[in-house]
Amino acid sequence: MSRSDCGAGIVLDSVGMTFGGDNPVTALRDIDLTIPTGQFLAVVGPSGCGKSTLLRLVSGLLEPTDGTISVHGKTPEEARRDVEFGFVFQDPVLFPWLRALGNVLLPGRILGSRSPTHGPHTEQLARRLLMDVGLDGFEEHYPAEMSGGMQSRVALARALIYRASTLLMDEPFGALDEFTRDRLNLQLLDVWEKARATVIFVTHSIQEAIFLADRVTVLSPRPGRIVRVARVPFPRPRPLDLRFEPEFGSLARELRALLETDTTMGAS
Amino acid sequence: MVPAAFLALLALVIWQLVVVAADVPAYIVPSPTEIGQELVAKGPSLVSDLGWTMLEAVTGFLIGSGVAFATAVVFVHVPIVERAAFPWAIVLQTIPIVAIAPLLTIWFGYTLVPKVAIAAIICFFPVLVNTTRGLRSVSSQAMELMRVLSARKASIFWRLRLPSSLSYVFAGLRVAATLSVIGSIVAEFTGADRGIGFVIVQASYRIDTRLMFAAIALSSLGGIVFFHLIGWIERATLRWPEARQHNS
Ligand SMILES: Nc1ncnc2c1ncn2[C@@H]1O[C@H](COP(=O)(O)OP(=O)(O)OP(=O)(O)O)[C@@H](O)[C@H]1O
Ligand SMILES: [Mg+2]
Repeated sequence: MSRSDCGAGIVLDSVGMTFGGDNPVTALRDIDLTIPTGQFLAVVGPSGCGKSTLLRLVSGLLEPTDGTISVHGKTPEEARRDVEFGFVFQDPVLFPWLRALGNVLLPGRILGSRSPTHGPHTEQLARRLLMDVGLDGFEEHYPAEMSGGMQSRVALARALIYRASTLLMDEPFGALDEFTRDRLNLQLLDVWEKARATVIFVTHSIQEAIFLADRVTVLSPRPGRIVRVARVPFPRPRPLDLRFEPEFGSLARELRALLETDTTMGAS
Repeated sequence: MVPAAFLALLALVIWQLVVVAADVPAYIVPSPTEIGQELVAKGPSLVSDLGWTMLEAVTGFLIGSGVAFATAVVFVHVPIVERAAFPWAIVLQTIPIVAIAPLLTIWFGYTLVPKVAIAAIICFFPVLVNTTRGLRSVSSQAMELMRVLSARKASIFWRLRLPSSLSYVFAGLRVAATLSVIGSIVAEFTGADRGIGFVIVQASYRIDTRLMFAAIALSSLGGIVFFHLIGWIERATLRWPEARQHNS
């Protein structure tokens, strides 16, 4: 299938990012990473290690201070200008003056005919997405009238509606209870398998990373470096109780041990 | 609303009692009932004067606020213009309008122009400052979202900047609304043949304190109505929950 026709994909070549200012902070260092087209990559790492920064670099919102990034053969800015990214930010970033439905429709309003889902059925599609994320009945609610977890689900629907070829997700389910999280994980895999999108998924949950991803990248504490890229061996579709399998548990333990080891270890 | 009306009533009662008890002559401070009688007696002509003053004020308000809004839009998109022009906006703001008004009257005579111009000038600054702030109040994350969607400048303006700015803009407009009435009255002082300012000047020549108080009360009423009209438009326009918290 197309998952192996990589050629392009997303390639980070010794990427580093140092924020200037009075006290410069090196957020990322020596990141070498290739994500083949259609692959689901999860990123885990301690708070402040540069995960959000990594997504901003890939999407061209920030420029790396070292190294180069290419996205399907383009620079990140070019790819961003071609609207190749669906981005779920760490905060929901909803527009308070738009209702849930309006927020999900926002990309279509901005993109117009540049959106592949442009057309008379856009609103129907938005309602379907809201239903998929469990928000039917809340279409006409304003963000202020929804809980944090509900807001982040609206943000997810908004990122999915224009079927971007690359999905960058920054802890999209961080604010959700376990059951909703499970449901949305399955939903996300469903979307991903249909759309063949390339996904970079940042999470604090090792379990979630293993359950979802083809590969899991573990970052070290700041400055973030790649400690390990673990291949997840489980076939798809994956059942929810996969996580009770011994193999799943041992991979999770292994990755957790990496996160707990000393900061000075650096890349392996 | 009810507590405010009660406070006003209380003040009027105390005023009445003090004036009557101390036997203050009416040409110094008339009692509320005397002012009320004056309002009834001169009602129709006072209302027509108020109408002129409000016409000047509202016209000046629309022009001044409109120009201020457009200027703020330019400021936000072309920072060099802001750095060049904003200091002069402050200068314009610090020149007392009482000093400009007679000049404008010399240039334009007893026409509407000086009154409208003064009202416009007095509205300009609060609307400019608030709108500039509002247009800048966009969160950096919302801006990132727009960049991910590869939004054009126009679309960023209409879909993000303008809606984020509206609470600020209305705050500026409410201040401007009350100021515009003051502005047109001050301009009327320097040369007019009608309007509340004209009535006040005429009454002061005749030491007609009762008429002066009646005119002052009416002009204040005009400002209050204008202020609340803007608030009402704001509530009708900004319907999302956070916006409602600000202006209720
Ligand atoms: N715009 C910025 N300017 C200066 N420093 C920044 C900026 N953005 C991030 N940093 C710094 O870079 C480091 C990494 O930040 P980042 O937000 O990528 O961490 P993170 O891994 O996403 O953390 P968390 O899990 O808490 O979200 C932090 O030390 C942060 O202070
Ligand atoms: Mg983060």
